[in-house]
Amino acid sequence: MKVKELVKILDGEVISGEDKLDENVKSIGAGDMMSEILAFAKPGMMILSAQASPQSVRTGIVTEILGLVIISGKNIPQQTIEMAKQNNFLLIKTKYYMFSTCGRLYKAGFKGIDEE
Amino acid sequence: MKNKKNLKKYADIFAHIKASDLMTKNVTTLTPENKMSQAKEMMRIKKISGIPIVDKKDKLIGIISLEDIIKALEFNKMDEPIQNTMTTDVITVNIDDNLTDIVEKFDILKLRRFPVVDKNNIIQGIISRVDVLNGILEKFSLIYSHDKKRNSTLSQEISLITGEKLLINEAEFHFAIDNADIIAAGTGAALLQQFLKKKEVDNEIIRRIGIATYEAETNVVIHSKSTGDILCFIKEDRIIIRVTDKGIGIEDLEQAMEEGFTTASDYVKEFGFGAGMGIQNMKRFTDKLVIISEKKKGTQVEMVFYTDK
Repeated sequence: MKVKELVKILDGEVISGEDKLDENVKSIGAGDMMSEILAFAKPGMMILSAQASPQSVRTGIVTEILGLVIISGKNIPQQTIEMAKQNNFLLIKTKYYMFSTCGRLYKAGFKGIDEE
Repeated sequence: MKNKKNLKKYADIFAHIKASDLMTKNVTTLTPENKMSQAKEMMRIKKISGIPIVDKKDKLIGIISLEDIIKALEFNKMDEPIQNTMTTDVITVNIDDNLTDIVEKFDILKLRRFPVVDKNNIIQGIISRVDVLNGILEKFSLIYSHDKKRNSTLSQEISLITGEKLLINEAEFHFAIDNADIIAAGTGAALLQQFLKKKEVDNEIIRRIGIATYEAETNVVIHSKSTGDILCFIKEDRIIIRVTDKGIGIEDLEQAMEEGFTTASDYVKEFGFGAGMGIQNMKRFTDKLVIISEKKKGTQVEMVFYTDK
């Protein structure tokens, strides 16, 4: 399934990396701790997180994931947005909380890293 | 004798390591007909302190140590054949002896080295305390010590794993971690990845290096209370990353190794750090990892990634 479908399901707002909307989402993971994401992130994966600090984007870049969804309608600091734009990193924002975000995507057929 | 205590502690963990894994194989030997003066020269040239004496079939029949040389000098025996002075009652290690046996021998007999022989008493190698420690390091994914003897190690530009020289000014990549701001943590890791991409390193290796370096760099920023350095050395078959600081050191590595244990502040946790998984992640993504830390002296992380697999 593609990024643009994920955006639609989450009523998402694409903040950076618009050219990646047609890319395939291999799997999805969720977490707020950087080390946790560093441990399980894989290339081609989308990460859902409530962590809107620049560290989330840096973690995403280092692990070469496809992109990051910031949940709960969190205010995303300007520094985070700038870092994402500079690196053409896919950054999406959704108003849904973690449980609903996961539920919506799972129902639509997206799979977790452990089910890939 | 802290060193001995450490050896004992590791011996149990690495009981499956055998003498053949640890010994130096190209052992220098002499025959009983050689003169003591030749033994002395050999020790000087090869910088060794003991020489096994073998017959024509490489069967071990004696050993000459520095003490024997001193005795020969005292009694004017330097021009006499070795057999007049050598110790014939040689204590050996069998090639199949395991680390526990070997460490016990070092412990009880207070000798510096043991010749290693097979069941027919044919010399196979020689084993010293340093060989034992190096052997453990080789098998180890991680070692920790705040032994005072490590003072010099922490400031030396020598690989903790292989002993080769790693001069700071010969590093292919150098990033100074001089920002105490948590927001900047990971900048060096990201730049290192960009640098390695230009060097056409395999992408999955770059990813692993980035993640492990990110964790090490974050530790410097969060925990060390000092500045630090990231250095990258590209060798023929491997990439060596060093992340060093001169900060407060790791208080208790056994705790630090525990998944979930953290000393991170609430402020740092707000940024998604302090999961207590940093060292676990470094272990997970490196081929070899050594961390040496001493309280108030700093921490040195050395990570090896093989590129020839």
